[in-house]
Amino acid sequence: MTGELVLVVDDEPVIVRALSAALQARGHRVAVAINGAEAMAEVATRHPDVVILDLGLPDIDGMEVCRQLREWTETPIIVLTAQGAESSKVEALDAGANDYVTKPFSTPELLARVRVALRSRSNPSDQETNVLITVGHLAIDLAHRRVTLKGREVDLTPKEFAFLLALARHPGRVITHQMLLREVWGPEYSDEVQYLRVYASHLRKKLDDDPARPYLVTDPGVGFRLVDPDDD
Amino acid sequence: MDAAGNHKRLQALARAAVGVLLLGAAAAVMLPFRGEMARALPAVVFVVPIAVAGLVAGRAVAIATAAAAAGTFNALFIPPYATFGIHGPEDIVAFVVFGFVAIVVGTLVSREGERRQVAEQRASDLETLNAELQAVEQERQRLAEEANKAAILERLDEQRSALLRSVSHDLRTPLGGISAIVSDLLSGTAYDEATRAELLGLVASETERLDRLVANLLSMSRVEAGALKPDCKPFAIDEVVTATVRRLGRLFAGRRVQLELPSQLPLVRGDYVQLEQVITNLLENAARHAPPSSTVRVGGRDVGSHVEVWIDDEGSGVRPFERERIFQPFRVGDGSSSTGMGLAICKAIVDAHGGTISVDNAPYGGARFSFRVPKA
Repeated sequence: MTGELVLVVDDEPVIVRALSAALQARGHRVAVAINGAEAMAEVATRHPDVVILDLGLPDIDGMEVCRQLREWTETPIIVLTAQGAESSKVEALDAGANDYVTKPFSTPELLARVRVALRSRSNPSDQETNVLITVGHLAIDLAHRRVTLKGREVDLTPKEFAFLLALARHPGRVITHQMLLREVWGPEYSDEVQYLRVYASHLRKKLDDDPARPYLVTDPGVGFRLVDPDDD
Repeated sequence: MDAAGNHKRLQALARAAVGVLLLGAAAAVMLPFRGEMARALPAVVFVVPIAVAGLVAGRAVAIATAAAAAGTFNALFIPPYATFGIHGPEDIVAFVVFGFVAIVVGTLVSREGERRQVAEQRASDLETLNAELQAVEQERQRLAEEANKAAILERLDEQRSALLRSVSHDLRTPLGGISAIVSDLLSGTAYDEATRAELLGLVASETERLDRLVANLLSMSRVEAGALKPDCKPFAIDEVVTATVRRLGRLFAGRRVQLELPSQLPLVRGDYVQLEQVITNLLENAARHAPPSSTVRVGGRDVGSHVEVWIDDEGSGVRPFERERIFQPFRVGDGSSSTGMGLAICKAIVDAHGGTISVDNAPYGGARFSFRVPKA
């Protein structure tokens, strides 16, 4: 996966330098924008494969940049948010961001999210064309509505299956509470966040999830994501 | 109601009696000398009880007293005595004149008394109104003070939360850089030696930035607690300027710093550590506003009783209406990402030294920040 162009949008020179160095060390090409106007111009002219977008920009609100980019491009966007701003994470995801990372972040974690974003882009498991989705040792057979973990079948109720599938269609990517509720229960249930807690705990039990290395990850106040625990 | 009415009636009766009693007393005093006195004298004396009756008991009593006085005058002082008969035209004239005067005096005096009573009533009404007005005014003032206090508290609250927001932003920004670099280096990314050194250099400069921020926070809390007492000793401020410029060299990457310090700059009397912080904050401020490849000039000069240190940048400068405000702590909503703490601390420290600090236009464009502290 070398040579992909990553656009880093941040007005903090140290963050920009750190990310550029880390991305280049992994063979990516890097473009930099220090404000929202530059970011939109760079996306339009250079067509990056993924955008890392800080929400706190000096000129335009990063959320607005996200919204405007989404009007015409499907390029994956990972937003960088300040700590303790759950509502802005949800808002960014609703505005079309694919993922978010909270500042101060760990670079390896951000790079893992970049990999997820690039993978989902090059391998459109988003589409229903895939009849088998695998995340680590977890395999979901869409044709037979069957789930196996390390080859052993996991018995799930239809709602639990729908819940798992909603996450598994975008592995590694956070799915917000509202998205999950709409997809699994229908639009009229979009405020029933406690359903999700109940079903998440059922799923964890059935998948025998290790809390230290889980498949099902909770993003408090935002949503859930399905990850491969063996992915670094 | 009945008791009160009775009481009033008794009072009126007592007042009416005053005229009669005075009349009796005057008559009794003059009676032994009635043969030797001029005929007009008793008449004149009798005016007194009438006037008194008018004053204390009103018009009706005054007229009654006047009638009684006329009777007494006629019976006791106009011959033939002990009768109401009058002989001789002179006595008739005297009696008629007396009667007229008595009634006029009684009327006038009683009217005056009534007027006085009305005036007194009015005065007491006014006093009551005034007292009520004062109470209302006091209440209004109390409420205004409370509203004012609430507004001040709200403002303080706003300032505090603005401070907290900007402090946590300022603390997090360098932490974000440090965290990004250190987590990357820890994960074992293969960097060449130069990149590795560059990244570690960034960690070092971000750490210094955090340290300056914490130093400013500490000073600010000392300023707020009124505990910013400079420990004044003579020292060479040009040496502090030179050392601080060298220490902050990293801040001026891509810009040039030019020192314009005269060799014979006099010693100042001040707190070395505190004035070093002033110079640090002013240099950091200049670094924040100096455009790429511009020059920051730092100099000093002897200005009589004080030594001045100045720092010029070639940035966009400070607009005149902001020149006072810029030294106030926690300016809210000026759009800058900095806490606005640095310059406020500079002012607090320089003030505590009995010096002055100001911002002006620099000779080559941009802003000139300068401060003066006393010579040793």
